[in-house]
Amino acid sequence: MRLLSEAIAAFGEAQADSTKLLDVVARRVAGVVRDTAVVMLSTQSGDLGVAAAYDEDDAVIEDLLASLADAPSSLAREEFLASGKPLLLPQLDLDALAANMSPALHACFRRRGVYGMIVAPMRVRGQSVGLIAVLRHRAFDRALEQLDADLVQDLATHAGLAIANARLTERVRDGDAVRAAREEVMRANRFLDAVIENLPDMVFVKDATRLAFTRFNRAGEQLLGIPRSQLLGKTDYDFFPESEAEFFQKKDRETLKSRTLVDIPEEPIQTVHGQRWLRTKKVPILDEHGEPLYLLGISEDITDRKRTDAELRRAKEQAERVSKELEAFSYSVAHDLRAPLRGIDGFSQALLDDYGDQLDARAKRYLGLVREGAQRMAVLIDDLLALSRVTRQELVMRTVDLSALAQTAVANLQRLDPSRKVEVVIEPDLTARGDARMLAIALDNLFGNAWKFTSKVPDAKIELFATDREGQRAFAVRDNGAGFDMQYVNKLFGVFQRLHTETEFPGTGIGLATVARIIYRHEGQVAAEGAPGKGATFYFTLGAESS
Amino acid sequence: MSERVILLVEDNPSDEELTLRALKKSNILNRVVVVRDGAEALDWLFRQNAYAERSQDEVAQVVLLDLKLPKIDGLGVLRAIRADPRTKLMPVVVLTSSIQEQDVVASYGFGANSYVRKPVDFTQFVDAVRQLGLYWLVINQPVPT
Repeated sequence: MRLLSEAIAAFGEAQADSTKLLDVVARRVAGVVRDTAVVMLSTQSGDLGVAAAYDEDDAVIEDLLASLADAPSSLAREEFLASGKPLLLPQLDLDALAANMSPALHACFRRRGVYGMIVAPMRVRGQSVGLIAVLRHRAFDRALEQLDADLVQDLATHAGLAIANARLTERVRDGDAVRAAREEVMRANRFLDAVIENLPDMVFVKDATRLAFTRFNRAGEQLLGIPRSQLLGKTDYDFFPESEAEFFQKKDRETLKSRTLVDIPEEPIQTVHGQRWLRTKKVPILDEHGEPLYLLGISEDITDRKRTDAELRRAKEQAERVSKELEAFSYSVAHDLRAPLRGIDGFSQALLDDYGDQLDARAKRYLGLVREGAQRMAVLIDDLLALSRVTRQELVMRTVDLSALAQTAVANLQRLDPSRKVEVVIEPDLTARGDARMLAIALDNLFGNAWKFTSKVPDAKIELFATDREGQRAFAVRDNGAGFDMQYVNKLFGVFQRLHTETEFPGTGIGLATVARIIYRHEGQVAAEGAPGKGATFYFTLGAESS
Repeated sequence: MSERVILLVEDNPSDEELTLRALKKSNILNRVVVVRDGAEALDWLFRQNAYAERSQDEVAQVVLLDLKLPKIDGLGVLRAIRADPRTKLMPVVVLTSSIQEQDVVASYGFGANSYVRKPVDFTQFVDAVRQLGLYWLVINQPVPT
């Protein structure tokens, strides 16, 4: 009795796991009746299958399982299972049973000397769950009695309940898992939906056969101006001009046929907002056999970019045209504007040479002024051409020896004006990154200015040195000449701006503008300091140098 | 005995007169042949078309060549001169208004012997022409004809 209640308690504990429970049942039953115990369960198809078996001798179990393998149902009949009553066969007549048993099982019974058997059906709520069979063989000499049968039936009833409960628990647990899996799939779907929905590009999916829309995102709705409720289930022909729809579907079919991504760099599309341009990528979505199921399309609206590109291209073409015209203009200026000046100057001189004796002093002076005007204009033209050249010419950047360029500038000035005595102090080895020819023009201008504006002071001095301005390396050209009023400093670098009269100091007012333009093209800055009668200092930085 | 002339290729009448005047002032006595566009220059040099009947004895000792010319420009003339065996060694001085870099580079590239800019200041102009004449007509040893 104690064994029985222990066994029942053990069934309860093992309920959580049906496989474990069946082992426990077989073991406990065998323990209670001290026999071979076999637990068989009804399978889904209604057949019986061995679920667990126990005997103290493993060899017996192996033998038994092997012989049951061919015909597991041969231990019991349907009608018996339905009866709910245990079957007690204390003395088996194996010879008589031979016709009703599978030959393998019959041989096994004979081998193992099985002489008694109890078969107890397991039923729960009127449903057959399986059975428990107890086989008595020669290991025990006591014949099976009714008491044994009742005991096994009792165990079978409890085991059946426990098994049913265990199955129910498992089914509930499986149900939870299915639900959890379904939720996980839904969560993943919702995530993907949100991603697709919020992508800035139009995303659509069409089925592979009809090419009808099965999915559409918000960016697509906005682009086309059509809600997805109208789009889904329809095809391109329902919304776009025939030629467009034809093109879209042609590309769809290409994609599905090639089974690879197709990139359409530009395609026009008629929308309610007017014509737009798309860059579309189409991707086939294949089933597990590699057959196309869907077509995924991702379209980027490139209308604005296309427009910007076109505008940029137009602007560039225009700039090139202007630049070419400017070039032609400069060329014409260089050639054609000087010839008339040569005529004015030359024939004024011819008058002086050939008719000088017929002219009075005033007439001669006038002719002199005509010549002067012509020559001044020639200088002006040259300066303007130089200014336009420094604007147009491409920079060739390399390391430039500014000290050497300054020396050359001074040597040229001295050659043209050999009588001038000027103290020139050039800091040696000043180098910077820049365009050598442009920087030479800048230094020629700066030194030319300094040379000019120191022409009226004794002990004229011009210096070039490197210095620091607001944490940046700067170069300075300083002179002790006429200087200027800081009030007008902003005018210094403008074209045609002059702070001195032509009679004080001749000039065209283009030199410093040229310097500024050269320095700006080097991404540098120009600055000037000075005071009337106290000289001037011109600073420049070369921004390109630091970058 | 061949006559060594100066071939002046110049379309601007004012420049033509100034150049002739400058040559005269520089005491250069060689005869100056003036042609007024590139095509005429080539006709004269190769004795063709209007100049087919020109005497073979006239030989240009130096060509003073403007660049901006009607029909065929100065660079075209220069190229034709250098391409023809009869004239390829002939001294050519480009005498023009511009010192645009592309002009100077192209002129030397096509084989100009010298490049001189016409100054606006007539005094300087005379000086330049005088030095040119002195060099190419007196100092320089020409190719034997």
